[in-house]
Amino acid sequence: MASASIPAYNSIPLENSSSQNASNESLKMEPLADVALLPGEERVIDKDIIYICPFNGALKGKVFITNFRLYFKSDGDHVVVLDVPLGAISRVEKMGGASSRGENSYGLDITCKDMRNLRFALKQEGHSRRDIFEILFRYAFPLSHGLPLFAYLSQEKFDENGWHVYKPMEEYRRQGLPTDKWRISFINEDYKLCDTYPTILVVPFKATEDDLQKVATFRSRCRIPVLSWINKENQAVIVRCSQPLVGMSGKRNKDDERYLEMIREANGTTKLTIFDARPNVNAVANKATGGGYEGDDAYQNAELVFLDIHNIHVMRESLKKLKDIVYPNVEEAHWLSSLESTHWLEHIKLVLSGAIQVADKVSSGNSVVVHCSDGWDRTAQLTSLAMLMLDSHYRTLRGFQVLLEKEWIGFGHKFASRIGHGDKNHADQDRSPIFLQFIDCVWQMTKQFPTAFEFNERLLMVILDHLYSCRFGTFLYNCENVRDNNLLRTKTVSLWSLVNSDTSSFINPFYTEESSRVLYPVASMRHLELWVTYYIRWNPRIRQQQQSPVEQRYRELLALRDQYLKKLQELQLSDSSPSTHLSNSSTPSAASPTQHITRLQTPF
Amino acid sequence: MFSVKPLKPTFKSYLPPVQTDLKKSPQLTIRKLEAKLLPGEIVVNEANFVRKCIGTESSQDDLWGKLICTNFKVSFITHNSLPQQNFKYVHRLLGEHDVPLACVEQVVTVNDAKGKQKVLGSNKKLKFNPTELILYCKDFRILRFRFDQAGPESAKKVCLAIAHYSQPADPQLLFGFEYAGSRYYNSSGERVNGVDPGGGHQTPMFDRPSDWDREIKRTGASEWRVCSINEGYLVSPSLPECFVVPASLADQDLKQYACSFTGQRIPLWCWSHPNGSALVRMSSISDPQQQRKLDQRISSAITKSHPQRSDVLKSDLDKQLPNIQEVQAALAKLRQVCVIEPFEESEEKWLSSLESSRWMDYVRAFLRHAVEIVYMLEGKHTSVILLEEEDRDLSCVVSCLVQLMLDPHCRSLLGFQGLVQREWVMAGHRFLDRCNHLRKNDKEESPLFLLFLDCVWQLLNQYPSAFEFTETYLTVLSDSVWIPVFSTFLFNCPKQRAEHSRDFARSKSIPLGQEQVLRFPPVWDWSQQFSPKDQTLFNNPLYVGKSATYVQNGAVKTFKRTKQKSYSSTLRGLPLALRNGQLSDLDTLPRRNSLVLRLPTAAEPQGLLLPQLLPSHLTLWRLYFLRWVPEARIPRGGPVTAFHKLSLLVDEIHTLQSHLRHYSTSNSSFTLTSTPSGLPPPAPSPAPSPLPPGPGLALSPPSNTPHRPQSLSRSPPDHHQQRQGRMYFRAPLSTPAGPGASIPTSSSCPAPDYLSSSFPFSPVGNLCRRGLLGTPLSKLLSGARIWLSTETLANETL
Repeated sequence: MASASIPAYNSIPLENSSSQNASNESLKMEPLADVALLPGEERVIDKDIIYICPFNGALKGKVFITNFRLYFKSDGDHVVVLDVPLGAISRVEKMGGASSRGENSYGLDITCKDMRNLRFALKQEGHSRRDIFEILFRYAFPLSHGLPLFAYLSQEKFDENGWHVYKPMEEYRRQGLPTDKWRISFINEDYKLCDTYPTILVVPFKATEDDLQKVATFRSRCRIPVLSWINKENQAVIVRCSQPLVGMSGKRNKDDERYLEMIREANGTTKLTIFDARPNVNAVANKATGGGYEGDDAYQNAELVFLDIHNIHVMRESLKKLKDIVYPNVEEAHWLSSLESTHWLEHIKLVLSGAIQVADKVSSGNSVVVHCSDGWDRTAQLTSLAMLMLDSHYRTLRGFQVLLEKEWIGFGHKFASRIGHGDKNHADQDRSPIFLQFIDCVWQMTKQFPTAFEFNERLLMVILDHLYSCRFGTFLYNCENVRDNNLLRTKTVSLWSLVNSDTSSFINPFYTEESSRVLYPVASMRHLELWVTYYIRWNPRIRQQQQSPVEQRYRELLALRDQYLKKLQELQLSDSSPSTHLSNSSTPSAASPTQHITRLQTPF
Repeated sequence: MFSVKPLKPTFKSYLPPVQTDLKKSPQLTIRKLEAKLLPGEIVVNEANFVRKCIGTESSQDDLWGKLICTNFKVSFITHNSLPQQNFKYVHRLLGEHDVPLACVEQVVTVNDAKGKQKVLGSNKKLKFNPTELILYCKDFRILRFRFDQAGPESAKKVCLAIAHYSQPADPQLLFGFEYAGSRYYNSSGERVNGVDPGGGHQTPMFDRPSDWDREIKRTGASEWRVCSINEGYLVSPSLPECFVVPASLADQDLKQYACSFTGQRIPLWCWSHPNGSALVRMSSISDPQQQRKLDQRISSAITKSHPQRSDVLKSDLDKQLPNIQEVQAALAKLRQVCVIEPFEESEEKWLSSLESSRWMDYVRAFLRHAVEIVYMLEGKHTSVILLEEEDRDLSCVVSCLVQLMLDPHCRSLLGFQGLVQREWVMAGHRFLDRCNHLRKNDKEESPLFLLFLDCVWQLLNQYPSAFEFTETYLTVLSDSVWIPVFSTFLFNCPKQRAEHSRDFARSKSIPLGQEQVLRFPPVWDWSQQFSPKDQTLFNNPLYVGKSATYVQNGAVKTFKRTKQKSYSSTLRGLPLALRNGQLSDLDTLPRRNSLVLRLPTAAEPQGLLLPQLLPSHLTLWRLYFLRWVPEARIPRGGPVTAFHKLSLLVDEIHTLQSHLRHYSTSNSSFTLTSTPSGLPPPAPSPAPSPLPPGPGLALSPPSNTPHRPQSLSRSPPDHHQQRQGRMYFRAPLSTPAGPGASIPTSSSCPAPDYLSSSFPFSPVGNLCRRGLLGTPLSKLLSGARIWLSTETLANETL
């Protein structure tokens, strides 16, 4: 019975349930019948239903809908379970009509944001789906029905308050700010300068508040160039902003030009590099609507580099194509060329190689300015990835949280618009998987540098699951201004509360701290891989392992090492206590050696 | 030869390299450069003042030295050292810049000034003086040498010599013969070059009945027997002298049947499942008259050997798997996209080019086929006959894969080597023809063995703790195919080996003594190629062996696979997932009518190993295919960094174990009290081991070597190795002076700088593509631009 005694290698089946973390966290839930509800979660309706599983066919069972989730459990011996946070639902449609023919043709069709679709069939008699459809529609899209998001109803309590993870002043101080060249400005305290920026900004020391106001007039949505990160060694900085309002006529703005000059001068960079994340043609096209890019004439001490990253619409279509080839079935006949035709990995490559260029410039002492159109999508991707490459602090579990809080949440990545939390308008053109793409890039980096990150793949999956779930306040709303107005940080729980209250399952055991190391991943198709454990996780043919076997084995070995260490210390202690050569007097336990050595052994 | 003709065109576009920042003219020391020669190796030709190209962008890192052609290798000797390379494993047969002639795929000479290039063959003439030599190697390397400063005549001669000697006309011209011969001469049984002529390895060679007997016993195949009718290769020229057949067939019958099979190949037993189902390989029946009768006889004999008298299933490999030419064409295309095409240009179409090479398809096809056979043996309790026209190619791959999936023994290092020895070497895979060492027939060339190793790598990649060896081992094994000194890969079959070695010995008047054969070292004698330290790169720190320790509820425990019982218990047919009671088996029901889908998927490193077959879950074997590509190298990254970390930890555990052992031996009262009841007291061996034998690593040699042939002389069991550790990377350690010594910790040790995704190989100077020189790399980089979709413009957000 060797196999049964290796708990570590059991492939713990990840049933068709929402996510592995849901079941883990269930420890904290109150058991109630079949469904363990979260504090604050309330049951709304139960119903007999048929789940049309794309893998197993029609399954009879019962569905429970709460204000947080859809939970399905099939009847019979072989239980299939679905556990879907309502926040993950992007679309609910009626399928078939009362007169539709054919078995199971009458029911509901649910499209999810997390790469799966669900189909349920009901009895055709008596409008059996009306109530469930309406309830689902209401609770899946609460904001469209004047209801609060679940995060505001949740009563969950955690040991740690995740809202304290990120304190802007602390983070800037960690970076060594302010300096004699960079100062901290409170000009945006009431969101008056820029309503999508955070309150605390770092700007060139020489720039007056008046300068900032003037520059704001020349930058799209007043998102002026501000410091994101400074290199302690060479004082080179990453500055982020939105596009300049050049327009068709090629307007210039002396204040903006002078402002960029101040950034350049701050560490004596000879040429300030401006990375425009967009493809050249897009930047030109933006002139038609008042935007544009920094021209050579106006910014003589700057070089402009286009990074050719496409816009949110291209990314959305790319992910849609990807879903088509992985769900429900993996395209087998022409897998690689199908994957290529989604361009998903190619986009990942462009984002990563853009970030590499940013990081390379900065680590060689050149300050850079990064922008796209508005500076909240591609710009966030580029600055945060570059910072991840440059600063090992962001590669720790807590540092990564700070990075997300700062570059994404703080600087106004429009999570609400991109994800569409609680909003029924599934076809909204503002939705786009920009953040998912960023997390994918991070995952690619962890694959290439298995020892460089303190967190593991599981953390990334949990982040993505709660990006949609609306259980935590972390990813809600578009910017800090709106968050403050909605009292988000007092009325909801942070995802980091969950994560930091029990970090053990998010820690990468291979992590080796290397504080000054700059990571340069290879942004080549030869190394980029589809993140199958995320994108293809609903396919039951892939028996998911809860944890990577290598990680698991490493943990076991660590435990074994610790046992032996303890053992040895005890032996040394007992050995040397009569004599004198004692070095480890701090041994905690005084158990007799014989007792322990037998524990080290197992009968053969 | 490439079937894709990668090199032909574009000569016009070739620009002479910019000869700017060359190192100052060759130094005097070059005259002192001498080739390091092996016994039997002679210098054929050489040229001085040769420049070996290192970088693709500029020539500033190039090395000056002497280019030598011997009867074994192309050697480049230099006093310069490579830039940014502070690590290389030392190969005992080859220097840092050497390539065995057998590894040279194509020899191309170029004259810049005249704008000419020529692919050189054996006995060809060269009408121009070459300014450059490019060697395309079978292991995917591309080496370039410049002759700007070399004497034109000597340059020409050395090129011609390389072309000529890399295509020997006769097998006996392969260096292995001279090597084995001189070792014999010089040694008369003594150690030469630190090599023990007896082998020094423990891999069963399956050239004697006792090896087969042990294998029968190990698998519990009671109704099968060793048959020696082919002694002296009298019945079949391609079969070994002894093999295993159903016990119910008499020698007389077998001799009679043999004539009706292609190559007189009597069906061979490969392996038996603990449930009694057997895996058999068989060539086609050439005599149509006999077909039915013979089929029936063989089938019924196999049925008789099954404890449940189960039916026999025939699997016709020729019909269901790619043939050897298709596999060869796939590798040629893969080579094209991996190393020949410029890196950046091939990025955009990388995935579809990979797909159109079909290599991954073929890997998948072989794995899938093996899984289907596993299903028959394991799930249906049916014996299976692998049927192939000649039974010497596809069967080797499939038979091995089936055994690797079903039998954990085959996943140990010795088990694996024994497996290859049985199913490839002894079963008569035509290594000589498939490697095409003699360039006799390009149609016979096929990288089937590499394809097999890739399949093994896929299994290893999906089940990283199930194998005792690493991907470095697989890569090095594959490279060894191109070093023509090992008996393993030199011949088409055992008979050929015997004949050639006898003839060669006669012609050279080498006294052969009793055995009547010239002994070639098998590749399994790794001390031929690597130091014991370098060999530790083969050890997988994750391996969960026959017994492994783990911690449960704070106590260290060992689980151990007792021979047959637990083996079959892991194979009860009930997938683990079901036993856990969580998941229904509904989702394993067939969606399409495929066998594969009905299989339980298990993830037990000790039991059944079924690969995930979705194309999304098979990946390119990057270490093998991309190790020479400079642009693909991840400095201080790649899986090896995790491997490094693991190795340190495992090494630390070993050290702790030996400390604990030290306690248990030095303190006798302690030893006595600590021995649990039921366990025999530790034997008074040099290293009594009351502790579990390690985290899955065979610390105690005997437990891991069930097949030691008694007669082979060998180095004493791994005491030496044990002392120096089984891990390549060692935990930092202050030598334990005794009790109270400081205790090592591996957790904070960063990976050394030389680690990269190519480790232990290095792309530096090993992949100099033509055509990049003179074309600024930056131009290529910026030239590779992206498709533009029309929606881009329309939708750009503001």
